[in-house]
Amino acid sequence: MPQQRPETATGIHGWGVYIPRFRIKMEDIAREWGWSDSQWKALAMIEKAIAGPDEDSTTMGLEAAANAMKRAGVDPGDVGAVFFGTESKPYAVKPSATIIAEALGVTPVTMASDLEFACRAASEGLRASLGLVASGMVKYAIIIGSDTAQANPGDVLEFTASSGAAAYVVGPSPGSAAVFEGSYSYVTDTPDFWRREGTPYPRHGEGFTGEPAYFAHIIGAARGLMNTLGLKPSDFKYAVFHQPNGRFPLKVGEMLGFKPEQLKAGIVTPLIGNTYNASALIGLARILDNAAPGDRILVAPFGSGAGSDAYSIIVTDAVEEKRNKAPKVDELVSKKIMINYSTYAKFRHMIRVVRE
Amino acid sequence: MAYITGVSMVNVDRHYDKGVKRLAAEASSKALEDAEPDTLDYIIVSSSFTYASDVQLDIASYIASYTGFRGVRALAVESGEASGLAAVSVAKSLIDSGLASRVLVVGVDKLSEWPTWKVYGHFSKFYDVEGEGMYSIGMGGIAGILMRLYMETFKVDRLTLAYWPALMHSNAKLNPYAMLRFAITPEKVLEAPPVADPITLLDSFPLGDGAAALVIEGSGRGNVLAELVAVESATGYPSIALPEDPLRFESLERAYQRLTQRADIKEVDVIELHDSFTIMGILELESLRLAERGKAAEAVSRGYFSLGGEGPVVNPSGGLKARGHPIGATGVYQVVEVALQLGGEFPGLKVPDSRHGLAVSVNGSGSSAYIAYLRSVG
Amino acid sequence: MAGFSAPAVWRGRTHRYRLVAGKCTSCGKLHYPPSYSCPYCGSRSMVEAELPRVGRLMSYSVVYSVPFDSKSRAPVILGLVDLGVARVISEITDASPEDVSVGMQVEAVFRRIAEDGGTGLIVYGIKFRPVKGA
Repeated sequence: MPQQRPETATGIHGWGVYIPRFRIKMEDIAREWGWSDSQWKALAMIEKAIAGPDEDSTTMGLEAAANAMKRAGVDPGDVGAVFFGTESKPYAVKPSATIIAEALGVTPVTMASDLEFACRAASEGLRASLGLVASGMVKYAIIIGSDTAQANPGDVLEFTASSGAAAYVVGPSPGSAAVFEGSYSYVTDTPDFWRREGTPYPRHGEGFTGEPAYFAHIIGAARGLMNTLGLKPSDFKYAVFHQPNGRFPLKVGEMLGFKPEQLKAGIVTPLIGNTYNASALIGLARILDNAAPGDRILVAPFGSGAGSDAYSIIVTDAVEEKRNKAPKVDELVSKKIMINYSTYAKFRHMIRVVRE
Repeated sequence: MAYITGVSMVNVDRHYDKGVKRLAAEASSKALEDAEPDTLDYIIVSSSFTYASDVQLDIASYIASYTGFRGVRALAVESGEASGLAAVSVAKSLIDSGLASRVLVVGVDKLSEWPTWKVYGHFSKFYDVEGEGMYSIGMGGIAGILMRLYMETFKVDRLTLAYWPALMHSNAKLNPYAMLRFAITPEKVLEAPPVADPITLLDSFPLGDGAAALVIEGSGRGNVLAELVAVESATGYPSIALPEDPLRFESLERAYQRLTQRADIKEVDVIELHDSFTIMGILELESLRLAERGKAAEAVSRGYFSLGGEGPVVNPSGGLKARGHPIGATGVYQVVEVALQLGGEFPGLKVPDSRHGLAVSVNGSGSSAYIAYLRSVG
Repeated sequence: MAGFSAPAVWRGRTHRYRLVAGKCTSCGKLHYPPSYSCPYCGSRSMVEAELPRVGRLMSYSVVYSVPFDSKSRAPVILGLVDLGVARVISEITDASPEDVSVGMQVEAVFRRIAEDGGTGLIVYGIKFRPVKGA
């Protein structure tokens, strides 16, 4: 009998999302910076979500985690790890994970830390958590991906860089809404996107973020996982990838051999933008909001720098009773307040204000 | 027995050329003109913003020496917006106890020293900083909540409430110490920029500097302006979120009840009360039972509290609204004004033949309340 | 409000983050923020209790005269929220003045409630927003 993979001992007990209510239309950004409409249409974008002036990755992360805990229904005292993945930390030094852990009532006997790997930090937190849970070191772990993504005004990145958060409570597979079947990581040193210490906006390699970075790493992770598990694209009901725009996840899915109907359920970026650490995880949440027991899902977040993790998940019966315990992605996407460019610029601290 | 034998006020204004000590010294020296400084037992200083804005500690001692009273006993009293009357109550206690026979009370504060956005931040400290004070209360946020609640609860429209500031401005026209000496119509109040909607700029006290002083003596020889019969106070709920009925100032009700137990108050001719915002004046009138609940604004609008009206004359000085509200000094102004009315010497709108007067101070939304009863001696 | 101490921010974290009220074991009433004694009966026998997160807006003020650090969200809507078992003063967020009315349902959200300039601490805590999104 082959040895069981450790991931199979783990599962998703709760998933939760937070999307801020403010939205800006692509037309407004294009008009402000002299882009032609073809620019954002090529990215398959419509609107992006903007955190309000009193929101940041910590506040959004807490809201998502609280939603995940509602679905998980676990005692906060049984949570042994809180991992917060972001590239938009409110404090350069001082963890957000502790603030969230405190607000959830998880403190003090817990691991808690902020992770950084561009858009993939939360995913690495997830994979590490599977190990912690499978080994029995912790009973439950909360993994949060949250970003108020920054983009230099006028940079093409501004069409997509948005705000949002997703969180997962993972624990032992019994009772979970979806069990893990396997996981696989694929990481190289690829400088496709970076932000230097003390600078407000990232730089990126435009096309270089594509083939050698996004596509190479997601394909590396997804193929590696499928080979390891002996699965092929047709074995999955859904596949969801990091989605820096509306186009890339469709393309990478196609390159891997998935069909559009397997991909569409997990693509939310056209309506809310790229939420960075939450991007693929919000897509997965939307799938869990609608999936049926027995559905197999491939999830592959990606982070510049670069790396990707691929997970295979099988939905259980418990998904049905959990999904109505917190707001669904579509509800969060539909609650919106449209704002103009100047309000967006003010909310995201793009107007230089001198303070004491 | 405690008598007010000397009074003085500096006109409320933006005194950019004078610091806290200078304003206090001017008021103190004038109040003491007739009294021998050597026989002064105590100086009680009332100041709130000097602490809130980190200007000076041990302010009472520095005012004493600066004014020329080095050697006198001095202490400062801080009770937020109610500091002035708190200082008067301490002074009266010293007189009543026999520990002192002549006490100078001087209230002083300056609001023009800093940009308004900073002053707004200091105002939040009138409220519980572990509770609502952590939020962006600004100028009038809590009073704005009370005003809307009042309008909704008692079905009072905004225009009816605008008669209060109109009356205050009308009263202040003759007061040489008032900061805003111009008339306004109720309609104008509604047109003014919002400060903490439904509160507009013309519902709100102006940001000015001021100092006022008075001398309290145990025996009524010489120039007695009025008798300070009693001062009472009470603490109240630390937040309007706590009482079942946020539109009642329990602290003021209790302070008034205590005052009436201490002194037999048969009638009141003149009141100076704490109308930092229109709604505060209205709610205080109702807490003092001078108007039925929900009816004070209407009573104001038909002239009940105006000179010649049926009720006591309220804020002939123009009140905090038009005279001004230099925080720690305000209560001292009020007692000085009531004493001058009772002595027939108020230089502004006079309330003829007034014999009984009240001064009322409240901090924030009623965390504390003070009330003083003065009587004429003639 | 600018310039608060790290210990003060730290001490208030539980009641601010989780909307934890004081509950009197003598009269059973709740009050927020938790006090050393019951504001209703004076008892000093207190336990903590989390407040409901959905309530009704009893009254509000639209504050234009705000300190500079609040300017990016001016006018600030300050509300008196009735949570049934207790009331709280809080900010109403994600809303313009025209979205707000007395009696409307509001729900708790976790937000930045104050910050100490550009280099000091961020104070997190509960605000409320309309339950009905736009």
